[in-house]
Amino acid sequence: MLKSRVCEAIGIRYPIFQGGMAWVSDAKLAAAVSNAGGLGIISAMNADENYVRDQIHLCRTLTDKPFGVNIMLMSPHVEAVSNLVIEEKVPVVTTGAGLPGKYMPAWIEAGIKVVPVVPSVAIARRVERGGAMAVIAEGTESGGHVGELTTMALVPQVVDAVSIPVLAAGGIADGRGMAAAFMLGAEGVQCGTRFLSANECGIHENYKQKVIAARDIDTQVTGRRLGHPVRALRNPFVNKFAEMERDPAVTDEQLAAFGTGAVRKAAVEGDVQGGSFLAGQIAALVKREQPAQEIVDEMMNECEAILIKAAERIVE
Amino acid sequence: MNNVFEKIVETIVDAKGIDAASVKPESTFKDLNVDSLDIAEMVMTLEDEFGITIELEEGIATVQDLVNLINERIAG
Repeated sequence: MLKSRVCEAIGIRYPIFQGGMAWVSDAKLAAAVSNAGGLGIISAMNADENYVRDQIHLCRTLTDKPFGVNIMLMSPHVEAVSNLVIEEKVPVVTTGAGLPGKYMPAWIEAGIKVVPVVPSVAIARRVERGGAMAVIAEGTESGGHVGELTTMALVPQVVDAVSIPVLAAGGIADGRGMAAAFMLGAEGVQCGTRFLSANECGIHENYKQKVIAARDIDTQVTGRRLGHPVRALRNPFVNKFAEMERDPAVTDEQLAAFGTGAVRKAAVEGDVQGGSFLAGQIAALVKREQPAQEIVDEMMNECEAILIKAAERIVE
Repeated sequence: MNNVFEKIVETIVDAKGIDAASVKPESTFKDLNVDSLDIAEMVMTLEDEFGITIELEEGIATVQDLVNLINERIAG
């Protein structure tokens, strides 16, 4: 049994969070991961409070274990969803795409454990001061919105800067990555890409097959020009976006408009030409569809075996 | 021009290695190539410097916006 303050604080068995991914992380996937002993997370993405409420209620019918809601701070419905998680007494809230400072006091007051995703040491320190229970230090290896620092560089620096637990994210898809994260001082991990191939993940079959077929060099970051870089699997959409991004004649507005709706097209419609298939650099390690329980068990067993054997490396 | 503005300029110059003369009150952080991570880092420094705490929210677009925010906190 791997000891972690994250498990103790939230009341989960394994320190594995399933990342909140737009159009991917719904109640069904979240409940499956929570039932498997990790922490399943529903993505509130840009959805309104009615969608998120339905997902929370559905999740509660599928699991009696703790789960979380990921709040995307750039969402037009962020205020309403922020109030909703309080009404619904959601156990854990993770945040992305911004600083959650304004919302944190009310969440904490309501007994919600707040775990922001942070891309730098300064932001980690700020949210710790604001009462965060833990932080997720996410490196640029991850899929979707990315920062600049790598997981290898970011995690130990954040661990040194804060006293709350740190979860590592970005580039972790198996027990080796998880063990490495613990070596860097993390007390848990968040995985997104690995759960794309879970049986309980409701994305289009084309998406799953693309992830399973992906090689190490198949992801690309676009959108730096708009200030919100995003990592996705290369396809005609990503190529076209990259081309438009380089073209000074294309305005930022045109570029943003071209990207709008592409994640939904990938996840819901499986549009291999026009969809944005968000995935991390670790996609090549995802080899088959399997139940969330199996994913979590494999990761934990492998991680524990590696950590136990690590001492054997020291021979003198 | 006051002490707060000068300190902000100094912090930006330190962080980004740009010429102090190019930082004006009306400069936007976008034009200065100062992103949200840089702002978070700068604000930590400025908080220590002035012994205040600032809640960072959207709406800080220009250097003057940040000067105003800090002056409010110092006064408050």
